[in-house]
Amino acid sequence: MPDEPIFRLPLDPDEEVTSGHGGSFEQLRHLILAPEQEDLARLRARVESPETRTRDLSAVLPEAIAMRRAAGGEEALGEALRPTVETALRESVRKDPGTLADALFPVMGPAIRRSILQTLRSFFDSFNEAIDHSLSLRGLQWRFEALRTGRSFSEIILLHSLVFRVEQVFLIHKKTGLPLAHAVAPAVAMQDASLVSGMLSALQDFVRDSFHSAKGEILEKINVGELEVWVEDGPYAILAAVIRGIPPPDYRLRMAETLEQIHRNYAGQMERFEGDTAPFAGATDDLTRCLEFQYKEKQGSKQTSYALVFAGVLFVLLAGWWSYRAWENHRWGQFVETLRGEPGLVVTDFERRHGRYEIRGLRDPLAADPQVLLRGAGLESQDAEFHWAGYYAMDDVILEKRAGALLRPSSNVKLSVSDGVLRAEGEASTTWATEVRERALLVPGIRGVDFSQLTDTDQAEFNRLKGLVQAAIIRFPLSSATPMPEDLERLRGLMPQVRALLEKAQLLRKSVEVEVVGHSDSSGVESTNIPLSQSRAERVVYELARDGVSRGVLRSRGVASLEPLRKEESEESRQYNRSVTFRVVASNAGASGATSATIPGAMRSARP
Amino acid sequence: MLLKKVCMLGSFAVGKTSLVRRYVDGFFSDTYLTTVGVKLVNKVVKAGKAEVTLVLWDLSGDDEFQRMRWTYLKGAHGYLLMADGTRAATLAKAEELEDAMRKEFGAKPFVFLINKSDRRAEWEVEPAWQDGLVARGWDVMHTSAKTGEGVEEAFRKLTAKMLL
Repeated sequence: MPDEPIFRLPLDPDEEVTSGHGGSFEQLRHLILAPEQEDLARLRARVESPETRTRDLSAVLPEAIAMRRAAGGEEALGEALRPTVETALRESVRKDPGTLADALFPVMGPAIRRSILQTLRSFFDSFNEAIDHSLSLRGLQWRFEALRTGRSFSEIILLHSLVFRVEQVFLIHKKTGLPLAHAVAPAVAMQDASLVSGMLSALQDFVRDSFHSAKGEILEKINVGELEVWVEDGPYAILAAVIRGIPPPDYRLRMAETLEQIHRNYAGQMERFEGDTAPFAGATDDLTRCLEFQYKEKQGSKQTSYALVFAGVLFVLLAGWWSYRAWENHRWGQFVETLRGEPGLVVTDFERRHGRYEIRGLRDPLAADPQVLLRGAGLESQDAEFHWAGYYAMDDVILEKRAGALLRPSSNVKLSVSDGVLRAEGEASTTWATEVRERALLVPGIRGVDFSQLTDTDQAEFNRLKGLVQAAIIRFPLSSATPMPEDLERLRGLMPQVRALLEKAQLLRKSVEVEVVGHSDSSGVESTNIPLSQSRAERVVYELARDGVSRGVLRSRGVASLEPLRKEESEESRQYNRSVTFRVVASNAGASGATSATIPGAMRSARP
Repeated sequence: MLLKKVCMLGSFAVGKTSLVRRYVDGFFSDTYLTTVGVKLVNKVVKAGKAEVTLVLWDLSGDDEFQRMRWTYLKGAHGYLLMADGTRAATLAKAEELEDAMRKEFGAKPFVFLINKSDRRAEWEVEPAWQDGLVARGWDVMHTSAKTGEGVEEAFRKLTAKMLL
């Protein structure tokens, strides 16, 4: 090593340069170590200064977290950060809930929507499930089972539709047998957790003692019918899951992980446990996550489609039946309206009873037959049940029928009723008219009679006979008072008609005179002609009287040639003037000369 | 919720089961006693403002036919030691049980119940012996499972001791 320094670099500008060994060494040291020492000093300053450390850490913190996550330590990281994040969130909400609400706003909407969608979907799923089960044979069996066991139908469906369901999970303190936490699935009947925990713990001890098992060994599984109790052992606590059905084997792994997690979080509290379960409230969430369940796969859509088809057919049948009933009701309603519009029928009650339509009311015997109307409406008579009480209808139509039935008019007479007044048209005898006028007012409902349009056949016959008689000429030979033989025959032939005329007159209450007028031609002198004509008239009167015509109605008169029948231009016309003619004079009671063929208005009568 | 494991100790037929059957709630049948050797019931006791749920482990009696399972006693926060006042043998047995408990699990809060106080005339309890126990720090109470005398008080007393 040289005594004198070859060269030197001052370590410190203020430093005195000294000579000798000591100085040389220092110089060398400076020369060699100065850069490292400077680095060391700078590093120390960095490490010792909180500001620098914070700055350094802040530079790498995001990368560090990302690296840890990439390395698969996410859960531990999350677990480590959870309390801090929770505190921060709580603090944020306490200070100003608005900040967090604003931040969550974009998340809340979709979350709520998704939740609603999920609820609806599960509702429809369960609805479909319920329809399936309600309509199948199996569904009926389950319904029976529900009745038998006193459980709700939905519970039975659930039990049969599940592969497995974890109904309860107990976290049991190993040393005391007391429950630290307990979670139970919805709608599961639960017993007192502390007693079940204690008993499970006692059973563990019982089995271990009874069969002298090794200390660490436990009763891992208990089978009770459809239930299994799976037990997972930990240093301070055991986890017991009550499972209905058969869970997948990896569920045990899930239990083990949960128990480990709980031990990580609560080991200290469990060790010091003196009966207060409050510190383990958080563990309930871990247990709740263990309440797993799995539904059976649907047995294919075939059954569903059968059920749907069945439901569809049922629906169509029901709808069809309902429509048919509505249509049928409508038709019957219309029929009843028809009945109501029918004269002589009054419907008071109409209802459907025991599959038949019952119609009650009043019916005039002459009203239309409801059974006929029923057939006319195309309805089945066995579907109807009529209950009619009799009555007299006042409808004109019925009155007309009733009058017709009671008065029995001839085919020449047409009866009609308007406002209760009976009208007769056509031809009828006076006898009939008189009789009917009285009887018509006895017909229920007929208030008056009008026969003004009725032609009296008796009067017509009277007029005809009268004409016939008046047209007759009985001729006589010259200067003779005895009719010519053929005319004598004609006279005899006329006699029945005269008698008939008189009879008709009597029927018509007329007083009648038959004037027999004797004529002579203009030859000869009037002094002889007058007695001759008188004799001729008397001769005819004699003949008529002899035949039975009352003398009281016969008048004879000789008019000689004063009323010639013809102009005497020939012998033939002269012959006509040597004759007898007839004149019928009829008068009504008190009146005279009225020979009208129509029955006078007096025949029209009315009740007071 | 505050839970305490409490054991019922005492010879056969001193009245433990009668006591729990009549004064506490539970759903296990008595056959558990003869099968598993223990029956559990709950008893809620008010201690000041707090409510304490005592989980009572009714153990089948210790006699020549049925050996009591000592493992059931582990972790107990306290116990009710029972004897039949009309049978001197059960009184002596109570002392043995207390001694065994202490040796096995350390000193635990307990209350000593001399049962069948409704048949006081037949009692074989010597006052001097009882005074001796009290002198040793025992809480001695006279109870009757039949009339209920002292029962509630005994549960309250034990609860208070366990909460100390």
